[in-house]
Amino acid sequence: MSNALEDVIVLDLTRDFSTSLSAAFLADFGGRVIRLEFLTAVDQADHQLAPTKGTWDFEADLIHRNKQSVALDPATDKGRELLVELTAKADVLVTDWMMAELAALSLDYASVSRINPEIIYGRSSGFGPKGPDKDLPAIDELASARTGMMPILGQPGEPPVYTGAGAMHNSVMLAFGVVTALIHRQATGEGQEVDTSLFAANMYGASLDIQAFLAIGEGDRFIHPISRLDVSNPMSGSLYPSKDGRWVTLTMPDTDRWWPGLAQALGIDPEDDRFNTHDKRCEENRLELIHLFEERFQTQPGSHWRQVFDEKQMSADVIGRIATSWSWTIPASARSRAWGSPFS
Amino acid sequence: MTKALEGIRVVDLTVWFQGPVAAQHLADFGADVIKVERPKGGDQGRGVRSIKALPIGDWNQYFLVINRNKKSMAIDLKKPEGQEIMYRLIEKADVFLSNMGLAWLEARNLSYDKLKAINPRLVYATNTGYGRFGGVDKPAFDMTVQAITGAMARLGEPGQPPIYLGMGSGDAYGGIMSALGIMLALYQRNRTGEGQYLDASLYGAQLFLAAPYLQSFLAGNAKSALQHSRKMVENPLWNVYPTADKWIYLCAENTDDAFARLCRALGAAELAEDSRFQTVDGRRAQSEALVAALDSHLEVKPHGDWLEAMQAQGLASSPINNLADVAKDEQAWQNAYFTKAYCEEVKREVDVRGLPVTLSKTPGEVATLGPQLGQDTEILMMDLLEYEWDEIEAFKAKGAIP
Repeated sequence: MSNALEDVIVLDLTRDFSTSLSAAFLADFGGRVIRLEFLTAVDQADHQLAPTKGTWDFEADLIHRNKQSVALDPATDKGRELLVELTAKADVLVTDWMMAELAALSLDYASVSRINPEIIYGRSSGFGPKGPDKDLPAIDELASARTGMMPILGQPGEPPVYTGAGAMHNSVMLAFGVVTALIHRQATGEGQEVDTSLFAANMYGASLDIQAFLAIGEGDRFIHPISRLDVSNPMSGSLYPSKDGRWVTLTMPDTDRWWPGLAQALGIDPEDDRFNTHDKRCEENRLELIHLFEERFQTQPGSHWRQVFDEKQMSADVIGRIATSWSWTIPASARSRAWGSPFS
Repeated sequence: MTKALEGIRVVDLTVWFQGPVAAQHLADFGADVIKVERPKGGDQGRGVRSIKALPIGDWNQYFLVINRNKKSMAIDLKKPEGQEIMYRLIEKADVFLSNMGLAWLEARNLSYDKLKAINPRLVYATNTGYGRFGGVDKPAFDMTVQAITGAMARLGEPGQPPIYLGMGSGDAYGGIMSALGIMLALYQRNRTGEGQYLDASLYGAQLFLAAPYLQSFLAGNAKSALQHSRKMVENPLWNVYPTADKWIYLCAENTDDAFARLCRALGAAELAEDSRFQTVDGRRAQSEALVAALDSHLEVKPHGDWLEAMQAQGLASSPINNLADVAKDEQAWQNAYFTKAYCEEVKREVDVRGLPVTLSKTPGEVATLGPQLGQDTEILMMDLLEYEWDEIEAFKAKGAIP
């Protein structure tokens, strides 16, 4: 079998989780990804978790899988020569270093493209290549804090929530940009720079809220957390505790379709004239319905509800802890518990 | 200016969010994306009227932004004549993308085997809910899928409900994953001449949203699956703190030097001398006491004062903004993460999400917002599919197109 990127050589000059994983995605699909490890002063090890001796360094295995590694010292003539040679042969360079660091080693785009004009130069930063904050450190927490979502994810009165999802978005966005640029190069022979940032990635992860706010321009429900007992649609985006404390979540925006089945499962008369239209359920008697759901879901444990949802093929589920979701998904043939590919 | 994906034609048979946003990424970089919709009502996303129980306003940003830069054809795919039009479209396409269920596609004679026979160079992409294998074919929405990945259950303070990562957050992730998968398959196709089938499921993508924590759990760290309180953290110097107004995020390593600088920024000489907090291990072991002490210091002044003091000490920190702050964030506008676009529906410029990925020589752009339902049906039937006018009339008579 051939691999999608089998003719592509990638230099991986990354130190953060998100960007290293980006290069790993390219490696997963056959790219020859060569990690550059510099032996001099540069703080390569700064962000790496030192594994306890004899334990599995699972993080490194997740983000550096399928890669090769070259250690060299760019401060020596021989090391510098090797670096230039690698740069000349590469199709892609992926980095998350600061501009000034890259320039100091002649690894900025201007220098690299002089040696290799066709290279695709992918860089991820904290806040993007322009603007007043372009040189802020690439820390996902700082980017997430600027995205507007942290205050509204939790319940009212609770602290802001950092999810870590932005860093994961960033990994895929950079890989997407690089392969898109590779396709353009296939057609034209032209290389170029590709940029993403943790800030952009966090904003994309929050796209619906942000776009709605941009368009509507106001609204307390965008600025302050919404209590789970005040959701817009009792049957969508809602959370209810079950008898054993496990949480049930419903996502059935088309309530007309799902109401009869759900009502029956909860022992509610589908014809109950407080709730027999979408508008009554989601507007007039919304809060009343939420409180009724709150009461009824507590009459049975999570396992009961999961069974109901499966039987009726409803878009609803009982929230998994990581342990339970894994047992649900692990294929019998899996040999190791390492990370698979999101595509098949 | 040239576009990176010029000459790539995409048939976009998607609804709601994940599928449309995947195709949006391709359209932004110049692919010719033709959205195929049912004649009656089109993509269900066109029907969104409110968000968070707030009226959506005079333009439907839910639909128009993720379907920007696309054309629209209305075709009734339940009819054999509609399928015939689709097949001719597939002959001229590079990519077919759908987030309809596999049984749905099969019932309309749009399976991979069928379309591959028409065009072996075709990249055929689906977004199933739970993956191609394993026999789960129930409807998949963002939040229910997030719920089973474990991503939600580990967030929030202990005892609080699990936390949803934001409306459509997992869909957005599945969308960019799908776009990446399509690009990989296209690159390969350009090299070998052969198309292939790929699936980027909502579930598969969302397992990656929790990847660092899942991987840690797989390595035996059971606690990574659980909620953690901000009041007791591994490193109190890397944490969220309330001030007199906004919360802030402080991101500093747990070193003696950083702690000394923090104490100077806070003007907290007594903390600097507190014997419990003198070492890395002390600050870790006594984190509950240290977080409480920092809370009571920081609570007394507004965030602007503290950020200035922290910056003066070289400590990384940020205000925890709300959406109103972000909408006017200079950094977002300067990098075109936000941009302006003309909206036909209301005949004025509106603010939209821009491009999170920049290509220096072939940048993407927002040329048009989402199309009217079926606005390009006739022109594409004539120019691209080369039907004669009487054939088009015949398709209309059969109800294959409106």
